[in-house]
Amino acid sequence: MTDVEMKQDDKAEDKKSQEEKEKATPPPPPPSPTAEIKSNIALIERAVATIEPRYTLRVLRTLTALRKKLDDKVLQDAIEDVYPKDSAVKKALLSWLPEASAVDHSMDVDAAPTQSTPITSDPVPECEIYLRLLLIHHLLTSQSTYPKALELAQETVAKMQVLNRRSMDPLAARVWYAVERTYELAGELADARPLFLAAQRTASLRHDDETQASLINRLLRSYLHYSLYDQADKLVSKTTFPASASNAQYARYHYFIGRIKMVQLNYSAAHANLQQAIRRAPPPKVAPGFYQAVHKLFVVVELLMGDIPDRALFRHPVLEKALEGYFEIVKAVRTGSLSQFQTTLSKHAALFEADKTYTLIVRLRQNVIKTGIRRLSLSYSRISLRDICVKLHLDSEEDAEYIVGKAIRDGVIEGRIVHEKGWMECGGQKSGYGPEVAEVFQRRIGYCLELHNQSVKAMRYPLNAHRKELAAAEGAREREKELAKEIQEGGDLDDDEPLGDGF
Amino acid sequence: MSSQLASIYRDLKRAFEARPSDLKKCGQLLAKLKVGLIEAGLLVPQPGANLDDLVVARDILEIGAFASIRAKDIPSFDRYFSQLQTFYNDYGSSLPPSPNEYPIRGLNLIRLLTQNRIADFHTTLESLPLRADSISSNPYISHPVNLERWLMEGSYSKVWNAREEAPKEEYRFFVDSLMGTIRNEIASCEEAAYASLPLKDAATLLFFTTQSELLKFAQERKWQVNLVAGTITFTKKGEERAEIPKEKLISSSLAYARELEMIV
Repeated sequence: MTDVEMKQDDKAEDKKSQEEKEKATPPPPPPSPTAEIKSNIALIERAVATIEPRYTLRVLRTLTALRKKLDDKVLQDAIEDVYPKDSAVKKALLSWLPEASAVDHSMDVDAAPTQSTPITSDPVPECEIYLRLLLIHHLLTSQSTYPKALELAQETVAKMQVLNRRSMDPLAARVWYAVERTYELAGELADARPLFLAAQRTASLRHDDETQASLINRLLRSYLHYSLYDQADKLVSKTTFPASASNAQYARYHYFIGRIKMVQLNYSAAHANLQQAIRRAPPPKVAPGFYQAVHKLFVVVELLMGDIPDRALFRHPVLEKALEGYFEIVKAVRTGSLSQFQTTLSKHAALFEADKTYTLIVRLRQNVIKTGIRRLSLSYSRISLRDICVKLHLDSEEDAEYIVGKAIRDGVIEGRIVHEKGWMECGGQKSGYGPEVAEVFQRRIGYCLELHNQSVKAMRYPLNAHRKELAAAEGAREREKELAKEIQEGGDLDDDEPLGDGF
Repeated sequence: MSSQLASIYRDLKRAFEARPSDLKKCGQLLAKLKVGLIEAGLLVPQPGANLDDLVVARDILEIGAFASIRAKDIPSFDRYFSQLQTFYNDYGSSLPPSPNEYPIRGLNLIRLLTQNRIADFHTTLESLPLRADSISSNPYISHPVNLERWLMEGSYSKVWNAREEAPKEEYRFFVDSLMGTIRNEIASCEEAAYASLPLKDAATLLFFTTQSELLKFAQERKWQVNLVAGTITFTKKGEERAEIPKEKLISSSLAYARELEMIV
């Protein structure tokens, strides 16, 4: 079946390209959106016919750019061109678009001859889903069509579930994203959760990795949006994120996990996850929003771990403005000044609240105190509790004694308190060698190995590429056999000759 | 809701509001009411339930939560709290807000704090339906939040002073266990931070009023008390641990070998 279809399409394409060649005196540098959609459809068909998801991925990569160029007419033309005249699917798809633009058709006279070859059969269902995806995105551009988008999204999802085609998976993953966006814009994100959960179960049963990855992220996002950290954590522990998921999905997943771990005070795990998210994220210029959001969390988690983030981070063109408030917090923590910390916190409270980092930053208070004590212990060999209290703006000497005691127990500083004299004696610094050094090395080596393994995993092996090699190897073996035969046969006749020739 | 259930509910309210409340009777009535609620399908609310009935069900569970704290039955409080969560989170928008919601949420936070479940404490805090800057204006929530902050900083005296400022009577039931947690914290700090400490000062630091209490506590923590000089000496634990962590080294070397093998 598919073969026949394919041939027809090939022919159609050939004819089209011939015609185009004839006509193509003025080559239009950027293809019109309609043409782009059509070429994308052709790519999807090829992907389905050759079972090579790479083509579909190529189509999806242009989605973001294409989305901005869509309007009623572009979509209408594309649908008109792709489907045969009296196709039911075409009617269904067109019904989602307003009728008004049909009048414009008369202006399109010179575009019409190109599709003179009548298309006789419907293209593969993947194309329909793709067009539906474009339609949803288009309907989401204006607020008045949100209810329509919601309806279309629900219908599309139902259709995908019924079709159950593996070649549709990458498209399906994107459709789910559009579905979430629809629900969110319509303000009913919580209502979509049962739908996602059910679909997630189906996807994992069907080993539909792309969709599963997308859905897990959708669910996590929905949970975190409503601050349901418990449920999110349970979802993470009960599901396994498919290893073959795309980088973008992985980046999101790591970001969400980082967030959860951070709330649970598991800062080192959060740090590792956020770092992965940064590494897997698309380049900062392409997706500045994600890049900024991850870095905001990353800065806070570094501070909570007692590290000071790199200064260069705050000079990054994409981050500089977004991280302004965070930079001031970093400065306050670095100098260990509680008063500066408090003023910065209240100054940027609205910003942190919007980023959902306020409660996390409030936790930094104790880090500020610790840094302050650490600085004092480094610069004084003996300091009275009264002075500590004044320098760190603590409320009472009594507090200072407890706080210093805790700092000593937690290993922040080396030293001891002499209660009778009311001062703190600071011990010498630890020598730089010991088991800790080995631990630091071990951490770094672990990090490098992890990086290596991740990059090995990220390598792509195109399907069937080994066939060529196999064929080559087969040929070599054949030749060798012949050679051996010749040697055998030749060996009987003549002993000296074959050696020279054969090798 | 049947009239029988309603009459038991009135009985329960009376028993709970009596001073001092009749905890035993409350317990019996609550058991009966819970069975009644299950029969009426209200314990885990179903969609389409009568809102007035749901309010009554929520009231019953709230009384149950308070009563179990008064009876110092923490696991039972835990159960009531998780049952109440459905009412607070999922039906929060359709039911009229309960005046007891934040006291109970705050009690739950304190409970997590006294059990030293700091991670859960923060997760719960994060999922409160409150704006972060309005936390400080809500007395029921700000109390546990401040306690946690002081505990983490080490401002133990502030915790001690705040124990009397509980926003609701039930909060005091946690004070004792909280004080136990603090004393142990302080004691471990003292062990690390002091070489020796006069008995009198140790007592003030640990908030003990009599020496005998202190001596008992010192015995539990195995401190050396010199009654003649009136001092406590702390023995340094693990002063020099120059031991080589053999197992760790071996396991990491093996891991490196395996990774190298994979690369080459």
